[in-house]
Amino acid sequence: MANYEFSQVSGDRPCCRLSRKAQICLGVGLVLLIASVVIAVIFLWPRAPLVWKGNPTTKHFPEIFLGRCLVYTQILRPEMRDQDCKKILSTFKGAFVSKNPCNITREDYEPLVQLVTQTIPCDKTLFWSKSKHLAHEYTRVQGKMFTLEDTLLGYIADDLMWCGDPSTSDMNYDSCPHWSENCPDNPVSVFWKVISQKFAEAACGVVQVMLNGSLSEPFYRNSTFGSVEVFNLDPNKVHKLQAWVMHNIEADSSNSCSGSSINELKLIVQKRNMTFACQDNYRPVRFVQCVKNPEHASCS
Amino acid sequence: MAARGCTLSLWLWLWSPLLLPLLLGARADAARWSGEGTTPHLQSIFLGRCAEYTTLLSLQPGSDWHLLNKNCTAIWEAFKVVLDKDPCSVLPSDYDLFINLSRHAIPRDKSLFWENNHLLVMSFSENTRRFMPLCDVLYGKVGDFLSWCRQENASGFDYQSCPTSEDCENNAVDSYWKSASMQYSRDSSGVINVMLNGSEPNGAYPVRGFFADFEIPYLQKDKITRIEIWVMHEVGGPIVESCGEGSVKNLEDRLEALGFQHSCIDDYRPVKFLMCVDHSTHPDCVMNSASASMQRESPSLYTTGHASLLISLLVALTWSSQV
Repeated sequence: MANYEFSQVSGDRPCCRLSRKAQICLGVGLVLLIASVVIAVIFLWPRAPLVWKGNPTTKHFPEIFLGRCLVYTQILRPEMRDQDCKKILSTFKGAFVSKNPCNITREDYEPLVQLVTQTIPCDKTLFWSKSKHLAHEYTRVQGKMFTLEDTLLGYIADDLMWCGDPSTSDMNYDSCPHWSENCPDNPVSVFWKVISQKFAEAACGVVQVMLNGSLSEPFYRNSTFGSVEVFNLDPNKVHKLQAWVMHNIEADSSNSCSGSSINELKLIVQKRNMTFACQDNYRPVRFVQCVKNPEHASCS
Repeated sequence: MAARGCTLSLWLWLWSPLLLPLLLGARADAARWSGEGTTPHLQSIFLGRCAEYTTLLSLQPGSDWHLLNKNCTAIWEAFKVVLDKDPCSVLPSDYDLFINLSRHAIPRDKSLFWENNHLLVMSFSENTRRFMPLCDVLYGKVGDFLSWCRQENASGFDYQSCPTSEDCENNAVDSYWKSASMQYSRDSSGVINVMLNGSEPNGAYPVRGFFADFEIPYLQKDKITRIEIWVMHEVGGPIVESCGEGSVKNLEDRLEALGFQHSCIDDYRPVKFLMCVDHSTHPDCVMNSASASMQRESPSLYTTGHASLLISLLVALTWSSQV
C-alpha cells in the first residue's frame, strides 16, 4: 500500500500551486478590493435626500431669487445698482447646501451678511408683529419707510422656502423641515433670525412697530419682534420706539395701548433706556384698512 | 509775425478749456435715440418675473391654473423676436407668439384700465388680490418698467439708448405695450374699471393713448356688463377735470356711442383712502360722508345737503337771537 494519496507536494495539486506567501498576499488583496468597493459604494452611490414633512424649496428658486435681486437693485433702489446679484445668490446658497437642514448656524449666514450691507435712513424703520400684510401695504403706498421685507435680502427671500441636504450640493426640491419636526435651526428660520437682528442693530432715531390689536396679546414675547428685534435695538442710536396698535376694522376698538401686553413692551423698552409711545389705530394705517371697508364708521 | 503767432496760441490756450469739453462732451453724449437703453440683465429679470408669476402668484385663489404649465424659456425666446428686427421696424404683430404663449385668463370684473397713475394703480390692485391691471398679467408683468431694443447695426441689445415714439413709431417697447394692451382688452370681461387722473394738466383722458387707441377698440361688448370710470384728483392738487367735463366727457360720449353702459365717479372712495395715507391730516382727506365721492348720476343730492345746512343755520341763528 503506497502512501501517495497523502503526499502534499505543492506542485502536484491543481488548485494550490501558490506558496503560502502568495496565498496571504492574494487574500489581503481580495480583502482590500472588497473594502474599496464597499467604500466607493458608500461615498459615490447617489443617496436619496432626507425626507421631511414640510413644503420643499420653492420651484425655480434661483431664477426667482436672481430676478428679485435685479428688480430691487436696478429698478426699485438704483443706489444699490452695484450689488452683484449672482454673487449674492451663490453666497446665500453656500450657507445651507450640502448640510443637514437641522444644523444651520448663524455663522453659516455670516458671509452673506458681510456681502450685503444696506443703510436704512433714520426714523424710517418699521417693525411688525402679526400684521405683515398691513405693514407691507402701508410701506408700499407710503414709499419712504422700510420693513425688513423692503430691504434687499428681505425683499428677495419673502415668502420663499429653501433647504439643502447632505447628499447633494443642490437645494432640496422634494421637501424641507416642517415646524412640527423639532428642527428650529433650519435654513429659513435661521436666515430670518440673522437678518432681523441685523435690521434691528442698524436702526436709528425713532423706530416704529405695527402690532395687531385684535389679538389677545398684541405684543408677544415669543415672536421675532419680541425675542430678537426689540433686544437688538441699540440705545445709543435709537432713542424712541413708537407702537401702532391696529385693530381689525370690523372688530370693536379695544384699549390695547393701555393693555398689559403693551405695558410689558413699554417696560422692556424703558429698561433699555429708550422712550416708548403708543397709538391705537394710527390714522394713516387706518386709511389703508379703509380701502377695503370705505363705509365703515371709523372711516368717516 | 512771432507776436501774432504768440497771440494766436495764447487765444487758443484761453479758449481750449471751454472748447475741448464741449467737443468731447458732444461725442460722448451723442446717443442715437432719445430713450434710455436696454435695462441691464434684462433676460434674468424677465425670467425671474416669469418664474415668480407662474409659480407663486398662480397659487392665489381665482388664478388660471394653466399658468402652472407656462414655459418661461419659450416665452423669452418668443419675446426676443425684437433682436431680429431693426430698432424702428418692430410691429405689435411681431409679439404674437410671445402673447400666445403667455396669455392667460383674467378674472371677471377684475380688469383695471388707467392713464397717468401707474404707481397708484399698482398699490391699489395689491398684486392681483383686488384687481388685475395689465402690469399684473403675465405678458404685462415681464416687461413692466423695462426698456429694450436691438442695436442699429449689430445683433445684440443696445444698452446706450432706445427709440421712443418721438424717434419712430414702430419701436420695440411701444409695439410691445400696444400688443399687450389689445390682448388685455380682448380678454377682459364683466365690469370694466378705468382710473383716470383728474389733476393731469393735459386732460384726464388722452385722446391719443394706449387706452383710447389700443384698449377701447378691442373691448368685447358681449362679454362686458358695464364700464365704470374713476376720476381721481391729487390731494391738494388741481382739479383740472371731473366727471362730465372736458376729455372725460369725450370718453363718456364715446362709450355711449359704442353702446356701453357706463358711469363715472369723482374721487372713488377706496382709491382716495389710499391716496390719503400720506396726507391723513389734509383737508382733502377728511373723509366724512358729506364730502365723499360724488356719483355723476345724482348731482342734486349735493345741493340738497347744502340747502339743509343753510336752513338749520338760519333756524339756529333765529333761535339764539330770541333767547
